Amino acid sequence: MPAPEQPAGDRIGTTWTPSHEDTKPTWGWILQAVTGALVLVLVTLHMIANHFVVARGLRDFQDVVAYLSNPVIVVLEVAFLVVVTWHGLLGLRAVLFDFGFSPRIESWITRVLSVLGVAIVAYGLWLTWVITSYH
Amino acid sequence: MDHHNDTHATEGTGRPIRFRVFRYKQGDRAPYFDEFTLEVAEETTVLDALTSIRNRLDPTLILRSSCFHASCGTCGMRVNDREVMACVTKVIDLKSSVVKVEPIANQALVADLVTDMVDFYAKFNAIGLALVRDSDWLPDAAEPAGIDSYNRFENCIECGLCLSACPIVASDPRYLGPAALAAAWRAVEEPRELDPEAVLRLTDDPQGSWRCHVAFECSEACPSNVDPAGKIMLLRRRQAAERLRSIFGGRHG
Amino acid sequence: MSEQSVERTAVERGAEGASTRRRGVIGWVDPRGRRLGGWAFILNRLTGLGILLYLSFHLVVLSLLARGPSAWDGFVSVAMSPVFLFFDVVLIFGLLAHGLNGIRVTLVGFGLVVDRQKAMFAALMVLGAIALIIAAIRIFEVG
Repeated sequence: MPAPEQPAGDRIGTTWTPSHEDTKPTWGWILQAVTGALVLVLVTLHMIANHFVVARGLRDFQDVVAYLSNPVIVVLEVAFLVVVTWHGLLGLRAVLFDFGFSPRIESWITRVLSVLGVAIVAYGLWLTWVITSYH
Repeated sequence: MDHHNDTHATEGTGRPIRFRVFRYKQGDRAPYFDEFTLEVAEETTVLDALTSIRNRLDPTLILRSSCFHASCGTCGMRVNDREVMACVTKVIDLKSSVVKVEPIANQALVADLVTDMVDFYAKFNAIGLALVRDSDWLPDAAEPAGIDSYNRFENCIECGLCLSACPIVASDPRYLGPAALAAAWRAVEEPRELDPEAVLRLTDDPQGSWRCHVAFECSEACPSNVDPAGKIMLLRRRQAAERLRSIFGGRHG
Repeated sequence: MSEQSVERTAVERGAEGASTRRRGVIGWVDPRGRRLGGWAFILNRLTGLGILLYLSFHLVVLSLLARGPSAWDGFVSVAMSPVFLFFDVVLIFGLLAHGLNGIRVTLVGFGLVVDRQKAMFAALMVLGAIALIIAAIRIFEVG
């Protein structure tokens, strides 16, 4: 038996909820979990490599150049950058989606955050290139 | 804010308790709290106290109740910031001389302590399938003589305490919410004439099972052992497994 | 019983007005009446947003590397000051709380280990406390 049609203005507090034309499986949460697990591993390595190897616990400029001269380190740090940026912006997106904006606004948010993520990673890559070419 | 005193105890052993009761009538500019001081006995419930307040101190207090044993789901309230059924919550057990009473959160308000549950029910409808189903006899049940049909009740009493406790329902009007998602899982577990795959698909949505942030406040609030959070996790487990299968194993079934 | 048509009524923000009592963001941060899982939720949310803030700060600081040794080494000496080191410990706390609680959210959120999640949460927080103490010692011994 179909539900009776309700005039929108008459009902207090009625809200729009997804109908089955709109539902779609999402990868956001699964990506959040996967990037999160990777961040856990990579942030631990990052912390050890940057704060437990050098005697003073902080790398001065020469230490940083030496650190990034190792290609394995560069791969690790770039991977860390990608994964932490991805996880962080996915998290920000999740917090924003908790307000239940319309699907149009939600896809706008996703696009803006994706552009921001790419920009951050690009900036990090550029910075790495600047440091490694320093002499 | 009005302050009323009633030192004639409801049943007589007299611990004075100050009740701060949420008040709002349509047309009021803003809600406010009224204070009533009542002496309560050992077995006085919050519902007893509120009924006493309405009968003897303020007949304009609007509240709603029915079964008096946490079975009908009518008298859900927020008492000292916790979601409870007022009919089975003893005032003494709150261990406080001040008792704040508010209606359940995240629903439309009719007046004072009574909410309009239209949003709550809309979530069940939003899945687009009938989650309330006719019952059949279980295959191995012996039909008692003289009974033509029966209603099988599920734990959920549709009280709305879970939606009141959920931090995401608080901010997100589109989230399906614990009650509807728990009902969806029950439909997957025991489909009868329903299509469980359709239910899984419909709740596999950013505003469905995946909007939950695993706070489990709904399961803590539930007076009826529904464990909606646990059921949301079971939905997700199934939905994630389907997703993995679709990547690695190809379509199944 | 087969599908019934979906009841779909549009919300007009004006129509909700004062009579719909959605708690809003208060529902995220209000500590009253909260149980353990609710605390974990707000801890994860606040530490996550806090770390994002820190990361923006970190990215700006790293740009000093592009300006050569004097700019960077100048920053390093500031970074050794006690106030800075204190905030470093706060950061480590945030990272540990968020990461370890995240383990719980991931496992439970896929329907695994749901029954013993409180015990798992407590164990992870103990691990976190130990790690935090180790980190704090390291931070203040070299700083």
